[in-house]
Amino acid sequence: MKKVVILGGGGGGAILANLLPKDEFDVTVIDKKENHVFLPGNLFIAFMGHKKERYMKPLKELLKPHIKFLHDEIISLDLNERKIKTKGKEIEYDYVAIATGAHLDYDAISGNTELLNKFGDYYSGPENAAKLHNTLMGMKEGNFVIAVADPIYMCPPAPQKGAFLSSKFFAKRGLKEKVKVILALPFPHAYSSKVISDIIEPELRKEGIEVHTFFTVDSIDTKNKKIFSVEGEEINYEVAVVIPIHEGPEYEVKPAEVKDDSNYIKIDKYTSKVEGFDDAYAIGDCTNAPTSKSGVTAHLQAETVASRLQGFDAKYSGRTNCPLLTNGTGLFIISDYDHPPVPVKLSKFKRLMEDLFVATYWDAIRYPELWEPIFKAYFEATNPEVLGKEGW
Amino acid sequence: MAVIRVDARGMACPGPISALTKAYRKAKNGDILEVLATDPGFKPDVQAWVKRTGNELTELTEEKDYIKASIKVTAKKT
Repeated sequence: MKKVVILGGGGGGAILANLLPKDEFDVTVIDKKENHVFLPGNLFIAFMGHKKERYMKPLKELLKPHIKFLHDEIISLDLNERKIKTKGKEIEYDYVAIATGAHLDYDAISGNTELLNKFGDYYSGPENAAKLHNTLMGMKEGNFVIAVADPIYMCPPAPQKGAFLSSKFFAKRGLKEKVKVILALPFPHAYSSKVISDIIEPELRKEGIEVHTFFTVDSIDTKNKKIFSVEGEEINYEVAVVIPIHEGPEYEVKPAEVKDDSNYIKIDKYTSKVEGFDDAYAIGDCTNAPTSKSGVTAHLQAETVASRLQGFDAKYSGRTNCPLLTNGTGLFIISDYDHPPVPVKLSKFKRLMEDLFVATYWDAIRYPELWEPIFKAYFEATNPEVLGKEGW
Repeated sequence: MAVIRVDARGMACPGPISALTKAYRKAKNGDILEVLATDPGFKPDVQAWVKRTGNELTELTEEKDYIKASIKVTAKKT
């Protein structure tokens, strides 16, 4: 039996654990949180008022019965000694997979923690998403600002999705004339990729959403309700969400060189192997892989690592599949390491597929082996090479 | 005063601008930011960035296989 320890039971960690055959692997998952959260649900909680319980489940229930779940906080990982220290235990392993996600550093931007505590947000969890919903329910006029503190953050289309959904929310409350939605982004355009930006800019205009480009948050003055940018501009807000600076794991990892200057774990982007190690992998938002921080990435990297641990030479292509829901239907943004983002406009039928995915999420985490062929067929039919510039 | 070199070669749009922004966050007035990039979108993007932020573009050249931009930091609020 090979002893595999997986740090983190989010999408990537849970799928990897469930994919490893029980007759070959002794699997332990460590997570400081008892609940697994479907992160995109935060948007629906914040802007559509969904109940937060809909997007949370006890991790224990999502893992197959033979998998051990250790509810504990990780203190350190020593890759040379093959040892993990948690608050309560010391564990050794044959293989380790780091899947603890991105650490959100609210303290890095002055005023951001205060902003979070006052208004909530849709990045730090379902409780804060529910808090943001309450804040928005009480808002009567002024600017609702969604701004970004650093260009690298989870779910690249999340600021735009938040802008579209909030604009719809205020229209529904009859406040379209009184509340202005402002989107402030570090990029030269309304989306990091120009091709995608060209598609959504007219839609943003139609919605009356004001876009500020080259706006990377530097600090927040909560007393005078102003956000200042690194580039030297300022925006007034009544309510604001500032997507915080993201970093890799906070806990100590030895040797220290496997972390980059933002603490992200340095990996081979195809195999997910931690640089310099054959028995350590990292998947999902905690790595320095040059692809989107998204659930699709974590899922595909988990499949890659599960295959590799079973002796196959599997590789991850860098494939992403980010849904950007606008007020009409929206688009998928598809890319991989060799292809820049391709926009795929959603017909109502394709939009239905996205909704179907949300509905099947829990099942796909629990039984990834059953869903694997279906996802595989979808990814093959929609790979950027096939799509060209025409869209699928 | 320091010369800060940002090597963004191989990064696709808007990677080079993101790397520049990251360096600019820590830079002080008088510093020189030297950015190397291969993404062809970087040229118009860096021109737009300099115009918007009010810093000084002292050099923008196309070498054989990369673009080089030098920016003198002058617009940081102290």
